[in-house]
Amino acid sequence: MKTGLIVYMIALLVFYLGVSMFLPLFVALVYQDGSAFAFFVSILIACCLGGVVYLFTRGQKDFHLTHRDGLAIVTFGWIAAGFIGTLPYLLSGSIPDFTMAYFESVSGFTTTGASILKDVQHLPPAVLFWRAQTQWMGGMGIIVLSIAILPFLGIGGMELYKAETPSPVVDKLTPRISSTAKLLWKIYIFLTLFLIILLLLGGMPLYDSICHSFAAMPTGGFSTKNVSVGYYQSSYIDYVILLFMFIAGVNFSLHYKLVSGHPKQFFRDPEFRVYLYITVIAILVVSANIYGTVYPRIQDALRYASFQVVSIMTTTGFVTADFEQWPVFSQLILFVFMFLGGMAGSTAGGIKIMRIILLVKHCYLEIFRIIHPHATTMVKLGRTPVSQTIMRSIWGFFILYLVIFMIGAIALAALGLDIISALTAMATCLGNVGPGLGSVGPMDNYSVIPVTGQWILIVSMLLGRLEIYTIIVLLMPAFWRK
Amino acid sequence: MRVIIVGAGEVGYHIAKKLSDEKRDVVLIDKDPGKIRRINENLDVQAFLGSGTSPKMLRQAGIQDAQLLVAATDMDEVNLIACLLARNLNRYAVKIARVRNQEYLQEKSLFSKDLLGVDLIINTQSMMVETILNLMDIPGASEVIDFLGGAVKLVSFLIFEDSPLAGKKLSELSNQEGKLLVGAIVRGHKILIPNGNDTIQPMDLVYFVIKKSELDQTLSRLHMPAKPMRNVIIVGAGGTGMAVAKALDQRRLNVKLIDQDGAKCKEANRLLEKVVVIKGDGGDRDLLIEENARAMDMLIAVTDDEESNVLISLLAKELGTARTITRVSKLSYMHVVSNVGLDTVINPRMAAVRAILQYIRRGKIISVAPLREEQAEAIEAEALETSDIVNVPLSKVDFPPGAIIGAILRGDAIVIPTGSTVVLPHDHLIIFAVQKVINKVEKLLTVKLEYF
Repeated sequence: MKTGLIVYMIALLVFYLGVSMFLPLFVALVYQDGSAFAFFVSILIACCLGGVVYLFTRGQKDFHLTHRDGLAIVTFGWIAAGFIGTLPYLLSGSIPDFTMAYFESVSGFTTTGASILKDVQHLPPAVLFWRAQTQWMGGMGIIVLSIAILPFLGIGGMELYKAETPSPVVDKLTPRISSTAKLLWKIYIFLTLFLIILLLLGGMPLYDSICHSFAAMPTGGFSTKNVSVGYYQSSYIDYVILLFMFIAGVNFSLHYKLVSGHPKQFFRDPEFRVYLYITVIAILVVSANIYGTVYPRIQDALRYASFQVVSIMTTTGFVTADFEQWPVFSQLILFVFMFLGGMAGSTAGGIKIMRIILLVKHCYLEIFRIIHPHATTMVKLGRTPVSQTIMRSIWGFFILYLVIFMIGAIALAALGLDIISALTAMATCLGNVGPGLGSVGPMDNYSVIPVTGQWILIVSMLLGRLEIYTIIVLLMPAFWRK
Repeated sequence: MRVIIVGAGEVGYHIAKKLSDEKRDVVLIDKDPGKIRRINENLDVQAFLGSGTSPKMLRQAGIQDAQLLVAATDMDEVNLIACLLARNLNRYAVKIARVRNQEYLQEKSLFSKDLLGVDLIINTQSMMVETILNLMDIPGASEVIDFLGGAVKLVSFLIFEDSPLAGKKLSELSNQEGKLLVGAIVRGHKILIPNGNDTIQPMDLVYFVIKKSELDQTLSRLHMPAKPMRNVIIVGAGGTGMAVAKALDQRRLNVKLIDQDGAKCKEANRLLEKVVVIKGDGGDRDLLIEENARAMDMLIAVTDDEESNVLISLLAKELGTARTITRVSKLSYMHVVSNVGLDTVINPRMAAVRAILQYIRRGKIISVAPLREEQAEAIEAEALETSDIVNVPLSKVDFPPGAIIGAILRGDAIVIPTGSTVVLPHDHLIIFAVQKVINKVEKLLTVKLEYF
């Protein structure tokens, strides 16, 4: 463990997060919303803190990060980012309570989109902008961003990248990790800009367009309106955001292949196909279920069903309809989808389609082997065989995910939540979705959860974003042994 | 610059490391998932699992945009086919193949542009033989690297406690004892590009720039006089051992060749005239005593087993052999082995890496030699008329820290530069630079026009 280097990296991260607050500071100055001073002080604190620690730890010569260093940097980096994120909330008085501010901040960086705010519309625009911005930075990864920016992270960069990128198999798109990180960010920025323009064309104001794009591309879900995207009452805006949530749930390497002239691979990708089929089938089933019972018109049923299904499945958490009013059948489908998530290597949370596919295939092969005891079998994704090591790690992940979900839900129930709220709050935070059901439903917020419960959810959001292993190994005594 | 390397063995691994450290885009192909994992963990390169002889794989690795293909697997046939395929997929890429089979090497025309399209063939064995013969000429040297076609040599010595140089400042050296140019010092794991204020410490490995004509004189000043070589033992009658034995067969030397394998001994006996061939274990103390290791001037340990080579050399040292040359293939052992007191360690992989680097850097740079563990390089370059360093006093040149011009070769003379020295066009420069600044040095040597 290179403690000096770990602290150094986190100091740099804190410093750059401070620098990134110039953007909301600018918004504050434009809107004259009275939060400029809060942002100014936040920048000062973050930059001074980061800067001073940086000065004490600089002069690092050896940037060769081991696997352990990478895990430690990513985990502590995210925890630190959460703290820096609270500064504007606390200083502007928007969220005076520290736990709540930290909940909001972590919910932002992890792109969960669960909020403790009752009424967002009366908050300063700059604070809401910062809320959206934390999601946008966290979506593609604050560490991946630093790999793209910091030139000295070569070999160590890969360890960091692996620790932060949500995917069972991490591919490098280019020979060098920094160019891979740059590439991913370029695609991400391009898609975000594209979405902003499309929203503007739909008549959404510029500020709202940016904030919603910053929340849609990372599959975050913070809105600047109390009733989320439903506020705009526009089917154009609904469908545009729906499309981009879907795109954000696609593996970014596939986007790269599309841009670099291999569009066929997009549709040949087995994971993409399953992702597409599941989405389409779920939309049809939910539409059929709510058509007639909730919405008398078929186009309304389709529109609201598709938006809610894609929003929950990609773990975004935007809403255009109060799905708590829907039949239990549809609600249960949405609940199950909180676990699925998007494709591996996307900005979505959850277990990820790839893992689900491989687990199902593995189960099928076990049954197959009972019928043909002597058959040679091998789990394959498309035509590529998947190694036993990866399968083991996926099973481990799956079990851990469920165990953490159950322990968390039981703990929330112990704090007095009802069964639906406890189960869905835990599922939605662990999957980085946002809205749940019951007292944390799409039209409610998390301020009703007791403080201990909020901390449980904060930890689960981080666990979900960093895919459990990264954080959980740090809790093992063996990790810290020399 | 995109480089594709086929084969992630020691050679492939180290070339990949070297080039990716220089921020080039490196893609590596290997069949072994374990090696691919190791590469992914340790290097910033893209590693593909697959065969280098598969056109599909080569395309996936981006052969179309690659400037260089290095085929460095252990199999000659794989390497040659990889080059052949690469030629058809991208006729502009430079192709380098590692070839071991001597028979292939003799048929040079087969590899020409027309048939296989290999631009450079690397044969570590013949390089090894050359290195060994070169080292025999300069006793005590750990490494001898030729520059300017051998007119100038870069020679490294391990400084022992009793050496007159130990504890001396570099600036003292040149004043007291004439010009003695130190280009680089290896101390422990670190490599220093020294200035006049640095002191030489015991157990340093010091690189001197020496003119061939002043070799004897300089060596005696270093208290390492060139004692004529008489008695040599070679342990291991493999390819390298045999080639060295054959070369020494022509000289007036008393050479013994030891090998355990009866068939090899018979074959050696048939091919060699004067060399005494002994069947036995080179690690057998009694055998070495019997063959009078005490009086030997040199023992060359080149069996296929590197661990045995090290132990045999240590045994010989203990028995009183004056010098040993030890072949060690694993680069990670190199450093440790010189620490246990073996003066000369040769490494076939390092030689291959060096040859490949030389080819890559060609153009602006005439010759290049990686020094110890590749943390630094000695570069020979011609000062071009249009580059930034000519016609200005060196103190005005924006030379990156960590690099020095060790010597300027002007016609026949060696100039040891000071701040006021002016580099003239067509001077040959020997530059020492640490890994980090090599790119900058390369840029400095480039013709300015390239940047328009």
